[in-house]
Amino acid sequence: MRYFWLSVKAIFLKDIVVELRARQVIPTMIVLGMLIVWILRTASEAASISAVVIGPAALWIAFLFSGLLAQERSFAVEQQNDCMYGLLMAPVDVGTIYLAKLLVNLVMLCIFEIIIVPVVMISFGLDIHGRWAGLIGVLLLGNLGICGVGTLFSAMVQLARSFSALLSIIVLVILMPMMIPATLAMLMVFGAIPDELAGVGNMVFAGNFRSALGYMVAFDAVFVTVCWLLFGLVIKE
Amino acid sequence: MLLASTWMALMLGQIEPVQRNIIYAHIPSSICALLCFVVVLVASIGYLRTSKPQWDIVASAAAEVGTILATVLNLTGMIFSRAEWGVWWTPSPRLISAGLLWFLYVVYLILRSSIRGPRYLQARVCAVFGIIAFLDVPMVYISARFIPDVHRANFSFETGPQKLALFMGIGAIMILSAVFIWLKTDILRDQNKLERESAS
Repeated sequence: MRYFWLSVKAIFLKDIVVELRARQVIPTMIVLGMLIVWILRTASEAASISAVVIGPAALWIAFLFSGLLAQERSFAVEQQNDCMYGLLMAPVDVGTIYLAKLLVNLVMLCIFEIIIVPVVMISFGLDIHGRWAGLIGVLLLGNLGICGVGTLFSAMVQLARSFSALLSIIVLVILMPMMIPATLAMLMVFGAIPDELAGVGNMVFAGNFRSALGYMVAFDAVFVTVCWLLFGLVIKE
Repeated sequence: MLLASTWMALMLGQIEPVQRNIIYAHIPSSICALLCFVVVLVASIGYLRTSKPQWDIVASAAAEVGTILATVLNLTGMIFSRAEWGVWWTPSPRLISAGLLWFLYVVYLILRSSIRGPRYLQARVCAVFGIIAFLDVPMVYISARFIPDVHRANFSFETGPQKLALFMGIGAIMILSAVFIWLKTDILRDQNKLERESAS
């Protein structure tokens, strides 16, 4: 077990060091994210749609596409000098590679969010009403889902490069169920849906903050576990 | 059987207004589209466990039949929805689930047709997608419940002929799908053989 975590840590640190030296991924993610936010902010102004509603949705759009960018890079760097074979030949379980890459992608997305969330809050004039813990919870659960699915499929793209253009539609279609509660929870954090209205109407579930978070926990648990298990089967040569 | 069920539905099992009769095509295709997904799942797991190309061929055939059924499901659903609620589409839980089902199938087929390279690689990537896509179906069914529902919980079929026509319809479409999957499997197997022979 100790060996397992040591090898996760080794791959994780390697990728972080590579990114710190090259500084390729994070700046691209931030520029893409800011562009998305900027376009949506302008559009919401032009169409005079309430910025409180568009803002939280803009956050998820930015996370999804910038996350994809990071995930695709995370295995593309291994392609140079056939580093992937080196990784595979290392005396570690293949699941270790998945977990380490997942952690790297998570950290990248978190760094990206630390910058983009304030940008969105300022440009859309969002008020958090002191719900920082809720916001961090939603962000972390969302990140785990996005990276869990994205890491597996970006590894597969490296095996067969011909479908790299399809990575976004594959990951988006799989993540679609999570986006409904995630957007709902984000809207509640920023007060776009008032607390007393949440769960009212003919919803089968009480669509409140707690159940949305519960759903995301379940989604992450199922997909990260399955992707982790399948990763070994995909990568084997 | 398909003809008999259509005849029974239209002659004996008429539901008013007339557009609602499309339910006789809607329910069977929804059940069979889901069953095709189960076939894709089983075949995908089978392929990943054994690496035998037969499993991959079955998954491919079932996905194609499933796509057609999911298209029928969504189109008939849209017509029904227009007759019932006056809108072609609305984001209600079941409509979202059915829509995602269609998207998953279409992405699966696009994925399958766009992977170049060794055959085993294509099969493996598709099998992984098939398994994960299947897990997505219950997930979207639950998550769509966060949105208010307009869909009728259960369509009631009052008379005997109506029920019988529906069950015959379900049976007929199931058999039809199975035959199509079988035929498509055969075609793909021959195609594979041909490719192998022309390569060697």
